[in-house]
Amino acid sequence: MFASFKFLLILPLIVGLYHVVPVRCRVLFLLLASYGYVCTLSVRAALALAVATGFTFLAGKAAGNRRSQQRAYEAFLCSISVLTLYLCFFKLTAALPLGRFGRLAAPLGLSYYTFKLLSYVIDVYWGKIEPARNFAEFATAIAFFPQMAAGPIQRPADFLTQLPPTRTALWSGLSRLVWGLAKKLIVADNLAPTVNYVFAHVHGLHGASLLAGFYLFPLQMYADFSALTDIALGMGLLFGMVGPENFKRPFTASSISDFWRRWHMSLTNWLADYVFTPLRMATRSAGTAGLVLSITLNMLAVGLWHGFTWGYLAFGALNAAYLVGDVLTARRRSLYFKAHPNQDRLRTWSGWLLTTHLFFLAMVFFRCPRIGDAAWLLTHAWSGLGTLPADLASLAAATGANALLIGLAGYAVLELAERFRPDLWWGRVEAATSPWVRWPVRCAIAACVLGGWFLVTIRAGGHDSPFLYQVF
Amino acid sequence: MPAMDQRQAMQGLTDVFRTVFDQPELVLRDDMTAADVENWDSLNHIDLIVAIERKFKIKFTTREITGLKTVGDLAELTAKKVGVAP
Repeated sequence: MFASFKFLLILPLIVGLYHVVPVRCRVLFLLLASYGYVCTLSVRAALALAVATGFTFLAGKAAGNRRSQQRAYEAFLCSISVLTLYLCFFKLTAALPLGRFGRLAAPLGLSYYTFKLLSYVIDVYWGKIEPARNFAEFATAIAFFPQMAAGPIQRPADFLTQLPPTRTALWSGLSRLVWGLAKKLIVADNLAPTVNYVFAHVHGLHGASLLAGFYLFPLQMYADFSALTDIALGMGLLFGMVGPENFKRPFTASSISDFWRRWHMSLTNWLADYVFTPLRMATRSAGTAGLVLSITLNMLAVGLWHGFTWGYLAFGALNAAYLVGDVLTARRRSLYFKAHPNQDRLRTWSGWLLTTHLFFLAMVFFRCPRIGDAAWLLTHAWSGLGTLPADLASLAAATGANALLIGLAGYAVLELAERFRPDLWWGRVEAATSPWVRWPVRCAIAACVLGGWFLVTIRAGGHDSPFLYQVF
Repeated sequence: MPAMDQRQAMQGLTDVFRTVFDQPELVLRDDMTAADVENWDSLNHIDLIVAIERKFKIKFTTREITGLKTVGDLAELTAKKVGVAP
């Protein structure tokens, strides 16, 4: 996908051409580039994307019919049913083989673009936006290649309001790309060998080794997935398109509801608007039972969006249970801590510790291919802790101590950098600096992007560092 | 309930907001959004809507709720609903 020599060579060419084509042709240029990108990976995926986009464009016109409410409702119902079935069909066939046809691979970016299409039809029907008039603009919003493989899920309305893209943000985009590539290369890829080793040998390990997998996988996942988001957003900026953020320092959350406002935000905001709120409105007369049902169905949808497997279902169910517990005890906790203001620090730290561990526990089910493996890891991680130093030493010897140390140190830098945001500081002061400082920094950023991308590509060629979230 | 204007609706909403979010000193402004009120998130947004519905004896639809952006929008919609309530 992004990690290929072909892409590495073509991207600068596309960005260069984009800057010289007339502004009025930029949308068409982006559309061709996006479909060209998808076609190089799979013509079948491009065709599926074009058909789904064309269908939704026409359905949006009908759902936006303000003269006949009945027709608008029928078009709305028909289109969301078709799109949901389309998504579920490929999710199911990826999980369950279809007789002699075997398993059908889902089209590239299916989970991401189907959610874009669904939100468009719903927004039109609800009257939040008018139906798109220009098919090329609409198709570009759906197929925009930086977001195609792994999001973030940008609502078409948000994308369309930025058209035509009269300005680009080349240097901000490149800075964001450097940040994403550094996260991937220095943190995620150095944590990956240990994580992969532990989860491939769950039944042969115990104690400290399993605990290492328990603690390292969420860190690797965050570094990897947020790197992919940074790359997508950075690439978007090269073309003047601002995308939605996906993360807000999730591992600093002090409650599970706070955590879910910081993790994979483009997905959770989407589900909050189009699944949770309608469900909650429909069940509002049922009081607490309605709240519990809405949270449970919403979180199961979060899990199953990744795929129809028992592991993702367990991930969603666990997070539903956490959120229900959090919401139902929120008022009582708030009253208690208001009455005991001297325990405020305890509240923050205990909340952070509990939230982090609960989420890490759910991530074991996300990562393990079988529920039995997850149960084994969780039940055997606390045995044999007396040999902790020796176990960690043998794990480091098996997977590479240097890589693990670099990965952990890199993660610490990642958290600090996201706390202090040196990129935002540079963005503020850049214009005021002398050209003798500005241009060497810019050249260094561009060199880091090219070098970093080259390294990611080389590693991906060896199939040892695919981005984790490209598979959805 | 007799018809009311947006200012009157805002006064009623202030009472509801203070109770639901447990903030007795909260002062609402037209341009406020969920980001400006502590604890106002998607999880308890419908609790707020239900409390408003009970206070003003009105019913909102999902479509109306999702179109709201600010407290001013909510006050305007509430005043409109009260005005047309039987």
